[in-house]
Amino acid sequence: MRKKGMAAAAVTVAGALLLAACSSDGSSGDASEEPDTSGGDAPNELTFMFRGGEYDKLAYETAIAAFEEETGADVTMIITDADQYATKLQAAIAGNQVPDVFYVEPGRIQGYVYANVLADLTEYVDQSVIDNIWDFGVDAYRFDVESGERGQDGDPFYALPKDVGPFGFGYNTVMFEEMGLEAPSPDEPLTFDEFTELAKQLTVDKDGDGELDQWGTGLNVVWNSQAFVWGAGADWISEDQKTVTVDTPEFAEALQWFADLGLVEGVTPSAEQAQTLDTYQRWMAGEIGFFPVAPWDIGTYNQVAADNPDVFGYDVIPYPVANEGDDWATWIGSLGIAVSENSKNKELAAQLATYLSTDLEAQKILAENKVQIPNLIDYATGEWLETDAPAAGWPANTKAFVEIAQEKGRPLPGTWTYTPEWYDNFWVGIESVVDTGDQSAADYVAAKQTEMQMLLDQSWVSADQAKAQG
Amino acid sequence: MAIDVDTTAGSWTKERRKASRKANRKLHRKEYTWAAIFMAAPIVGWLAFLLFPLGFSVYASFTNWNGLGAMSWIGLDNYVRLINDPYFWKALWNTVFYMIGIPIGLTLSLLLALALARRIPGRTFFRTVYYIPVISSLAAIAILWQWAYNGDFGLVNQFLAIFGIDGPNWLMDPTWSKPALIIMAIWKGLGYSTILYLAAVQAVPRSLYEAAALDGANAWQRFRTITLPMVRPVTFFLVVTNIIAGSMIFTEINIMTPTGGPSWSTASLVWYIWNQAFRNLSMGYATSMALVLGILVLIVTVIQFRLNRRNDFSIE
Repeated sequence: MRKKGMAAAAVTVAGALLLAACSSDGSSGDASEEPDTSGGDAPNELTFMFRGGEYDKLAYETAIAAFEEETGADVTMIITDADQYATKLQAAIAGNQVPDVFYVEPGRIQGYVYANVLADLTEYVDQSVIDNIWDFGVDAYRFDVESGERGQDGDPFYALPKDVGPFGFGYNTVMFEEMGLEAPSPDEPLTFDEFTELAKQLTVDKDGDGELDQWGTGLNVVWNSQAFVWGAGADWISEDQKTVTVDTPEFAEALQWFADLGLVEGVTPSAEQAQTLDTYQRWMAGEIGFFPVAPWDIGTYNQVAADNPDVFGYDVIPYPVANEGDDWATWIGSLGIAVSENSKNKELAAQLATYLSTDLEAQKILAENKVQIPNLIDYATGEWLETDAPAAGWPANTKAFVEIAQEKGRPLPGTWTYTPEWYDNFWVGIESVVDTGDQSAADYVAAKQTEMQMLLDQSWVSADQAKAQG
Repeated sequence: MAIDVDTTAGSWTKERRKASRKANRKLHRKEYTWAAIFMAAPIVGWLAFLLFPLGFSVYASFTNWNGLGAMSWIGLDNYVRLINDPYFWKALWNTVFYMIGIPIGLTLSLLLALALARRIPGRTFFRTVYYIPVISSLAAIAILWQWAYNGDFGLVNQFLAIFGIDGPNWLMDPTWSKPALIIMAIWKGLGYSTILYLAAVQAVPRSLYEAAALDGANAWQRFRTITLPMVRPVTFFLVVTNIIAGSMIFTEINIMTPTGGPSWSTASLVWYIWNQAFRNLSMGYATSMALVLGILVLIVTVIQFRLNRRNDFSIE
């Protein structure tokens, strides 16, 4: 009786605790279903937490199977939804359940290093391996704890790239042919004037109903204006990442030019039509001449081109620049593969991170399925560019992506700072410049400069505090 | 449990009483122990999953903490920052604005419940149809509505075009972005409120309506003086729970307007808290905002309870 009573009480307590733990509303998720993200205990056990699509999973399953066979390791994969990954990782860190190997964004490096979450991989990875990865792919994860500087060659690195994502620019080849226009050079960038002129010629009422149904371009300011600002020699932030530099004539002129494409030149769909989704759809419907092209779009674009060859075809070109001879640039993203500082099997985990980042077979799977360009320089610039990429259906001028990965790509402003709040602030109210034209670009950047600088200063203060607190 | 005790005089009786008391105490002690164990379960749960996190949050709100490393005590700095943060007030205003949907939703729910309470053909079908959004994934619904609100191809504007109305670009227009989210929230919650109202409407004694009809009350008078007061407990419950849920609006905003909407017109307080905590690594500051939001909701709820008690009634 006594034993039964105790058992009943134990079950009741356990049940009540479980119910209490799961009694939050459904939106926060069921705690009992959370996977165990903690690192492996046995000498050969590793956990790998990541996010991604089916091809990422396929590539990593292949790479991990080979890794397990080669090293005798036992790797547990934990895959999460992309939009929940960052939150779940932070919760895992707060709960001291950090996986051995996991994805990390370049913008998170500082915070995680200060909190002693990331292992310094410098001593675990051979220089020959590093030399064969795009500079940006490693620099994105370099961090000097003392100076707070990011991206400097030679500093310790805390992750290896899962990928690098060059944000290219493209044009509709079918539209240019139809309109009898000369195709833009695959190597030399157009100037802003040349680009505007071409965009004007592409903007037409094709069916004669009095309304435009084809436009030169249609670009979302939040994701597309960086290349034009950089192409005019301006930037959001100084090289030392301490001063906001938006209030300059070059910056204001570039932003105004960008806004005037729609407001004055009329070469973009109207503000009402200009949701990103709409211009994306219009581009694929053959209604827009110039539009961004990134590796993750290639599969979709190829499908559209195959389904509607009469209206859509595309190729990649350099982003326009303000004046002839100026250097073009665009942003490049990345996702890193990091190792937990507290992993019980740090060396093996570092080996796995290296394997996932540089395994040739995995890279081939990801590139063949148009998920990313390869991380390996020798493969990307050799066999892939010459034979594998054309065979897999990558665009004719795929070397533009390689060029971005090699030298033209820059991280989005805000990536190198402790928090990106100062940069996010730039977009709050941008509609008054690009959609309604209520405010000139010069007035806008002048008004933003002070607020952004204040937030940037705050970011540095927070970084110093995080460093002091550890 | 009753125990017979002999109260007559004599040592034997005393002994017996003593033994009885002892047995009684032993029995009670056992019962008390078990009672304590069973009562401990919810108390431990409450301490572990409510009081401790709450106390931890209160402490965190007085610290500079990035959610990763150690905390450092900064006193009231987070609260001072909050007072001077225009984005906090903007987000709070947006959150309050979303509450406009509550009376609209409740009115529509009550009307629907009244309709569904009648013996109309296909009412089971309609009850099911109205309830489907409630059990659907909010993320999926948000994506569907994002498409429906598309300025060019969206169903909403196509529907408006039938009546010659040139619909706005809902989610890209600072004027219409909040109403767009309110409409979606009303649609999503309609079924739940309707079901509760339906149960309340059907529980109103028919005799009250019959008596009122005999006294010459018309339909409006019957609704105003019988139905409305009789469903007041449900209304109270829905208002309180909707205010709490409305103050936590996040998922649909994060999916439909991930940057906080044009000119920050859709950013809710929880969305801002989430951004500060997980994007800007200001967990301490985010916690202070969360506590202020919690206190505001608590105040509103207490006022609701007071008002409800004052208007309370019972049928004799």
